[in-house]
Parts: sequence; C-alpha cells; structure tokens
Amino acid sequence: MKKLLPLFLTAALLLAGCGKSPEASAGAAQASGGAKKITVALLPKSKGNAYFISCKAGAEKAAKALGVDLLFDGPTDTDPAKQNEIVENWITLGVDVIAAACDNKEGISTALRKAQSKGIKVITYDADAIPDARSFFVNQATPEGIGYGLMDEAARLLNGEGEFAIILATLTAGNQQEWLKHIKARQAEKYPKMTLVATRPCDDLKDKAQSEATALMGANANLKLIMNICSPAVPGAAEAVKQAGKTGKVKVIGLGLPSENRRYVKEGVTDSVILWKTEDLGALTVEAAVALVKGTLKAGDKSFKSSAMGEFEIKGDNLLLGKPFVFNKDNIDQFNF
Amino acid sequence: MPAPVPTSRWKALLLRHETALLAVVVIEWLCFNAIGPRFGSLDNTFDILRHSVEIGLLALVMTPIILTGGIDLSVGSLLGLCAILFGKLWRDAGLSPLAAGGVTLAIGALAGGLNAGLITVLRLPPLIVTLGTYSLFRGLAEAITRGADTFTNFPASFLFLGQERWLGLPTQAWLFGAVAAGVWLLVHRTTFGRSFRAIGFSPEGARYAGLPVPRRLALVYVLAGVVAALAAVIYTARLGQAKADAATGYELFAITAVVLGGTSIFGGVGTVHGTLLGVAAIAVLNNGLVHARQPREVAGMLTGALLLLALSGGVAPKLWAAWRARSRPSPPPPPTSPTS
Repeated sequence: MKKLLPLFLTAALLLAGCGKSPEASAGAAQASGGAKKITVALLPKSKGNAYFISCKAGAEKAAKALGVDLLFDGPTDTDPAKQNEIVENWITLGVDVIAAACDNKEGISTALRKAQSKGIKVITYDADAIPDARSFFVNQATPEGIGYGLMDEAARLLNGEGEFAIILATLTAGNQQEWLKHIKARQAEKYPKMTLVATRPCDDLKDKAQSEATALMGANANLKLIMNICSPAVPGAAEAVKQAGKTGKVKVIGLGLPSENRRYVKEGVTDSVILWKTEDLGALTVEAAVALVKGTLKAGDKSFKSSAMGEFEIKGDNLLLGKPFVFNKDNIDQFNF
Repeated sequence: MPAPVPTSRWKALLLRHETALLAVVVIEWLCFNAIGPRFGSLDNTFDILRHSVEIGLLALVMTPIILTGGIDLSVGSLLGLCAILFGKLWRDAGLSPLAAGGVTLAIGALAGGLNAGLITVLRLPPLIVTLGTYSLFRGLAEAITRGADTFTNFPASFLFLGQERWLGLPTQAWLFGAVAAGVWLLVHRTTFGRSFRAIGFSPEGARYAGLPVPRRLALVYVLAGVVAALAAVIYTARLGQAKADAATGYELFAITAVVLGGTSIFGGVGTVHGTLLGVAAIAVLNNGLVHARQPREVAGMLTGALLLLALSGGVAPKLWAAWRARSRPSPPPPPTSPTS
C-alpha cells in the first residue's frame, strides 16, 4: 500500500493536469482561430528598473490586444548568468518567441542562438545581441534621431540663434561621440546662427555636471542653453542654473528619464527632456515578436505595419521606433518612469 | 549511561532530516510536473543540473568547512576572480583552454591557501578572514578588468564543457559527479572526515586527542579554493563569457544549501548527501516556478521559508523531548534510584 501511494498521487496530479488542458485549448482556439495561443517571452535587463517596468506596461497592452500570452521575467540581482538561465528555462518551457534586452551581449547570444536552433524566434529590443543570434532589433533611437532631436529642440527654444554648451559623459564613449557628431552636423546644416561654445565631460556624475555647468555659466556670459547628453547631467545642470538664479535665462535640455527631471521641469528650470516613449518600445517589441511568429514580418521587409501604432521603418534588420519624444511641462505628469 | 542514548537519537534525527528533505524534493518534483507540461522532460532535468553545478560544487566543498565549525564567504568572489583570470590566461597569455584551466586551478589553490594560512597560522576566525578575502578577490577581479573588460569568443571545443552533452549527460555533470563522489568519500569514509567532525565539536578536544588540527583545517580551505576555480571554468564555459561580476552572491546560496541539507552551522554534524539534497531542493524550486509561470522572486521567498522550516523542524524533536521531560518529571527515576 505504501508503495502504491506515490503512484496514486502522481495519477491524481496527472488527471488534475489533464482536466485543466481542455479549457486552456478552448480559450486559445477562440483567441486565434484554432491555432495554439502564441506565447511571447519578454526579457528586461533588470526587473525592478522603472524604465523596463514602463516597457512592460506597453507590452502588456499590446499582448492583450493581440490575444497572446506574455511572460515577463528578468534578473533581480547582478549575477550575469541569470539572463541566460531565464532564456534557457524559456526554451524548455517551449515559448514561441523571445524578446530580449541584452545585458551581456556576448554571453546571452549563446543562449539566444540555442533558442533559435530549437525553432524559437528571437528579437532584441533596447540593447542588441550579436546579429546572428536574433532576427530583428527593435531600435528605440538611432544616433541620428537623438542628435537631430536634441538640436532641433535647442533651436526651437532659442529661436535659432545664440550660444549653447554641451555636457556629456566622457569624451571617449562611443555613443556620446556618435550623438555629438550628429548634433554638430545638424547645427552646421540648419542653424548657422547658433554657436557651440564648449563641450565638457562630467564622467556620468550629477555632482560633476553641476560644477561643470556652474563653470560654463561663469566663463560664457552669453550662454543661453546647456544641452546634456547623458542622463545624470540633466538634473545636475538644472541644479546649477537654479542655484545661480539664472532660471529662464539659461535654458536646460537633455537626454534623460522624466522621473529624474520632473521637479526641475515643473519649476521651469529644465525646458524639455528628450527620450523615446518606453511604453511604445514595449508595445512595438511585442507586436513585432508576434508578427515574426505569424510570418508577417520577415527578413528583407522595408517597413512594419503595427495594428495599434501605424507604420514603422525597417533599416536592414533594425526596426526603428522613430523620432524621440519631447517631455515638457505640459505632458511630463503622464509618464512615471 | 546518558552517552549512548543521545547518539542513537542523533542518528535517528539525522536520518529523519534527510528523508524529510528527500520527500520535499519529490513533492516539489511531482507538483511542478503536474503544473508544467515540460517540467519533467529530460531537457529540463538537464537544465536544472547545468544551472546548479556551480552552486552545487561550492556547496559540496562548503560542507567539510562548516563541519569543522568554519565558514568560507570568499568562494563566490574567488569564482569571479578565477573566471576572469582564466579568460586573461586564455586570451592575453595565449594559453590553450586546458592549460589555462590548469593554471586557474592552481590559482584557486593559492587563494584557498591564503584563507587557510590566515586561519591556521594567525588563528583568526574564519568568518572574519573570508569576509576580508570576499572583498579582496572580488576587488581584484574588478581591478584587473576595470569592471568593464569581458572575455568572450571562446572556442567551441571549450564551450562543449558547459553547453553540450557527453555520453548522454551535460558535460559538466560528470565533473560534478566526480567531485561529489570524492568529497563524499573524504567526509564519510576516511579518518579525515571524522577529524573534521571532531574539530567541529571541539577544536581543543581534537588537539588534545592528537589530531593535526591546523593541517586538517588548511586542507578544507585549499580544497574549497581549487573547487571554486573549477566552478569558475565551468561557469565560463556555460555562459561563454567571463566578467568580474560572475557568480555574485553564490557563497550565500551554497551556505543555504548546506544548512538546508542538515549540516549544523556550529560544526560537527552534517552529511554530504544532505547537502546534495539541499542543492536539489533549491534548484528544483527555482526551475519549477518558471514552469509554473510564477514570478522568480517567489523562489527566494520559498527558499527562505523552506530553510526556516527545516531548521525549526530539526529543533522540534528536542523541544518535544524537553517538554515531555518537564511535564512528567517523576516516572523515570525509580529503576536506577540511588535510595535503594
């Protein structure tokens, strides 16, 4: 009798399992016309990050609208092996498509390639993997988009003339150089009456950005605007301007999260913060992932028509989210990341 | 007269702890198998195995350390340091992965030797020594790579160790099995094992009994260093990359598995198979929750609850006995009453 007990238990559990499945398949049949319900697995760089939580919100909306299952899981600590483990678990779980924001490009690519070899579709968003480990990268912002967006916003605020300065993270960082190049190109091409008087690094530190901004205002009496192209610099420069009592006289704009800058934007110190809409990034990623499974998005496509947000351009294997979004006094309260 | 009774009771208690833990693992397995359709598949079983090898190795060598009443907080950091040194030896010094692996094991032995030296020669408490090397090893790893350098693009022949199968099992499982067998024999079938327990019960007593206490202690810490280095090589092969933050926090997972496995944190009591069951209980829980489509955070909560339950479960019989003794104070004395 004792020996039979586990058998009974297993049988009971199995029966319970079987009992559940008919409902589930009926639900799936309703959702997508007889086919199995698609499961999209969305991997953030880290789970608690407000940026990715906001991506998730967009992704959930899209998943609901498309009638697909969405799994959202990511590391909660700094162990770099976690992303790989999660992907490998999803492979055995048998999801249809994995959408990953890659923390360790090389490391996770091994796991993503393994997923592809098992017939699971893979796309990346926010931070790319090695190209052969995924089909598409949902690119939230091209360097050109960011550079032009910042320069156009600066020109709009200054009516196309006056002195401005740039604070960046370091002079050597690749992305910073890339953005700087496009800012300068846009200025030379469209706004000849504007002059870039200085470019200062702040080592990605808010304190240093604050002292750099103070120094810049001291050295350039006609400075009209400080443009910050790394996120800690935006509140740093705003604090410097506020303390110098130059609110409104020296405008502050930059690339950053709305939440970090809300206070300064509302006080009128910072005029605008530029970033992409993270909810749209999450939603577009899910839409593209589902399209990839259904075969409506394939290599060589030049554009992607989303069901909720219109048409998006595809450059090579990069699906572009489009122009960055300008957060200002009027709309910043609608965003919580 | 009181001596033989407690030992047999201890034995029974130990037996019960491991049997209970085995039951927990089996119940976990059955539950998740009922919920997750692919949980019980061979692929997933191998995934569980692959994901728990590094923590399992650390837990295996942590067992003799805790048996002696010591602790080693530095193993996770050492794993990180060894991983990037392995990467450096291979990429920058041009060694073959095999040679680099050999040198890495030697470095692991040296690092373990540093712990051993500080503990046995300077007689510093293991907790303090390894808390120091915990920071030192991780700091070295970060300094060498400046926190940014990542070693990658290893040859497929090396990645075979962490990502493929050999003779039907994940390659690293063979190494894990060999280390598990070795540590089990060391602890349960040699005089070394008995001396670890003796030291754990009473270091002074062990010394008076003529045991070479410093040498025995040195052995367990050097062993931990070597095995942490082995775990580093396997970790690198599994991920295909080595970075300074590799295996952050693994020392605590390893200690959790050992304690869950029934080893007393004060030393003297514990088994290697208990540790293996502890590792399995945590690994199955972590993996199963994914298949049950539960959020990953739940795993941490449940592991903690399981550990507390296991610990209080271990104390319960003693409390029960004490309570019974107090509620019925008179009956036992008569047979050996001194008045007769």
